[in-house]
Amino acid sequence: MQYPQLLNSTIYWLTQKRWLLFAFIVALALFLLPTPSGLSLSGYRILIIVIIALTLIITESLPLPGIAFIIIILEVYFGIGDANSIARSFMNDAVFFIMGSLMLAVAIVRQGWDKRIALGIIKLTGNKTHRVAFGFAAISAVLASFVGEHTVAAIMLPIALTLIKYTSKDRKKVRRLSAYLLFSIAYGSLIGSVGTPSGGGRNVILIHYWQEFGMPQISYLEWMKFAYPLILIQIPILSWILWKNFPPEKTVLDTGIRRLKTKVANSNQITTKQITALIIFFMVFLGWVFLSETVGLGIIALTGVVMYLITGCVTWDDLHKHVNWGVILLFGATISMGAQINHTGAAEWLANNVIKFGGELMTSVPIFTDGLVILLTTFLANVLSSSATVAVLGPITLNLPGDSTHIGLVMAISSAFGYFTAVAAPACTIIYASGLVKARDFLKAGWKIGLISIILLIIYANTYWAIIN
Amino acid sequence: MKILIAISSKEYSKPTLQVGMWAAKAFNASVTIAYVGQKISAFGTSDVGLAQESIAKWGIERPGVQVLEWAFNYLAENKYITPETAKAGFQRNTLVDRGKNRVELHLKGNYCEGVDLILRRGDIIPELRNEVAQNGYDITIIGRSKKRRMAHDLVQYIDSSIYIARDLAPPEGHRLLQAVDDSKGTAKALVYGSQVAKAFKMPVDVLTVSKRESFGKGYMGAHKKALRAFEKVGIKPVSILKVGDPVSEVIKTATAKHLIVMGVSHLNPIVKFFKGSKPLKVINQCNSPVLIVK
Repeated sequence: MQYPQLLNSTIYWLTQKRWLLFAFIVALALFLLPTPSGLSLSGYRILIIVIIALTLIITESLPLPGIAFIIIILEVYFGIGDANSIARSFMNDAVFFIMGSLMLAVAIVRQGWDKRIALGIIKLTGNKTHRVAFGFAAISAVLASFVGEHTVAAIMLPIALTLIKYTSKDRKKVRRLSAYLLFSIAYGSLIGSVGTPSGGGRNVILIHYWQEFGMPQISYLEWMKFAYPLILIQIPILSWILWKNFPPEKTVLDTGIRRLKTKVANSNQITTKQITALIIFFMVFLGWVFLSETVGLGIIALTGVVMYLITGCVTWDDLHKHVNWGVILLFGATISMGAQINHTGAAEWLANNVIKFGGELMTSVPIFTDGLVILLTTFLANVLSSSATVAVLGPITLNLPGDSTHIGLVMAISSAFGYFTAVAAPACTIIYASGLVKARDFLKAGWKIGLISIILLIIYANTYWAIIN
Repeated sequence: MKILIAISSKEYSKPTLQVGMWAAKAFNASVTIAYVGQKISAFGTSDVGLAQESIAKWGIERPGVQVLEWAFNYLAENKYITPETAKAGFQRNTLVDRGKNRVELHLKGNYCEGVDLILRRGDIIPELRNEVAQNGYDITIIGRSKKRRMAHDLVQYIDSSIYIARDLAPPEGHRLLQAVDDSKGTAKALVYGSQVAKAFKMPVDVLTVSKRESFGKGYMGAHKKALRAFEKVGIKPVSILKVGDPVSEVIKTATAKHLIVMGVSHLNPIVKFFKGSKPLKVINQCNSPVLIVK
């Protein structure tokens, strides 16, 4: 390679990796500064790693596994732990759950239940647009509360796209209708994903932190008792806001529904494999409800995966191809980082500074703490990802004054308020990738739903939870 | 010759596709028509892939396929692909995922060697750069973008000649404006310019601009060499010698019916990165289509 080409390639590399360089320069500068008073050296160093990790995750200047490896190796090089202790903190039941849930998603999507779900929705809702959209939001929320939002969005998306296609071949003529239906799925899935511990990786990460930090825990059903009523309140509000934001071009979808009905009615009879897959999932669900406190949610999810593999409902090639291994590695690394934030005392130090910042309000007005946690979590979830947010913020918020169950649940629920961007959650990314909604559409509807959700959660957490406690 | 045509949508990319296919026909080149879809967050790539496989089972094409279908119809209507290929129609199911973020459909060409329709996903500059690096194109043809840094990044980072298409520009009635100086880039630009002018029988203006009142030996030598190069291919060029700022004079001379051909700047890449270059300034300030030869 000639000198100018080499120089040009270097400039290109520098422009592509500018955030990586920025992160390391900032980290180096912080590394050379004296340790803040009250914070241990290892605590200070883990916070430097947090800054690097957050910058890299938000800017995606390295592939996800690369970011995961940076976190792990820096934990060792910075003397925060030895290789074996870091390795131990890297793999735990929460990571098993994330791995299992991603694999279960592939197995479930592969069963072709989408046509039967479509038929079910049509039968329940009829052909009025607002009822169909409400049906999409409600079904997505309920399903996502058990199997995760990414699974539900992947199942529901083809149904909505087919309905849109059958309503009008010209996508421009049904732009608002498209946004209305697709956001009903994505936001419905997001709202539902906090309904049970198995609804999302972040819920399991929180449970892992409660265990790890020796805090009181709640069972699968108790979690539902805390979270599910909020979902039921949010669904109609979501539907109404979307209706107002994206008034659909057609208020009745008679042609689309008729054609969709014909298409799904022609689908094959239910197969033995589909029945087997359903039975396995039901067993997994029962395992989560009754055994998760004994063996862990992750082990049950992996048991389900093994059963799917044994019965041939899914192949390893399929799992290997469709599971995002980078996400698993990254969540393993962020959970390890979260554990070190706590062990090194950095979490307590940060929490104390937050308390200082909040003053007496933090202890005398619990709503203030809730508001602060919700705002911080919502912001980070929208730029980072919900699970990574809980993994990083968890140790800090759980050190704040107040009941750890209350504050943990507030954080887990608000991490689902990823309404503002397409990167906040896989469900949002999936509908964004359809090309029918634009990035600005997320902000257009998202801020209203986000604001109402924040207010609703503060009221809900300080009234309903106080009553049931 | 290998040509890469980057298209974005049927609303905006017709002139780009048209120019690219004219060039492919004239030079019997092999063509790749690329659509680069929006970038997906790394957290969602597998989920999106899974969702798109489900969508395909419902007979709904993934984003970008519609744009490729439009390109296919354009090629069929204008007989750029063989009648058999055109008659078979756009076969979505024959789109092959070649890995490395590249889905492709190969078509048999009528006048040109062959046409590949490809889908990529991600940021446009890295994707085009990868495509050019992997397949070694001679020219990349792309429409003008409203993004401020797009032209800069194309010229700086894409390792092929760059043609920035504007509104529909049929070769008939158009002139070629060959900007000439004594730089290294001019020689190769002259080869391209003369080939284009010959293929499309375009009248040619050869423009040399000197910053000083008198033209030096180098500039005059380059200018005469350019005139001879066009005469060799049977075109009698119009000689234009001007004094002033080269960029301003090129822009003043070029009309809406000019195709500007310039050599790439051989300034230090660092200087080009921060200060830009003459070709880049011409692209940014002029409304004519521009071919920057590398």
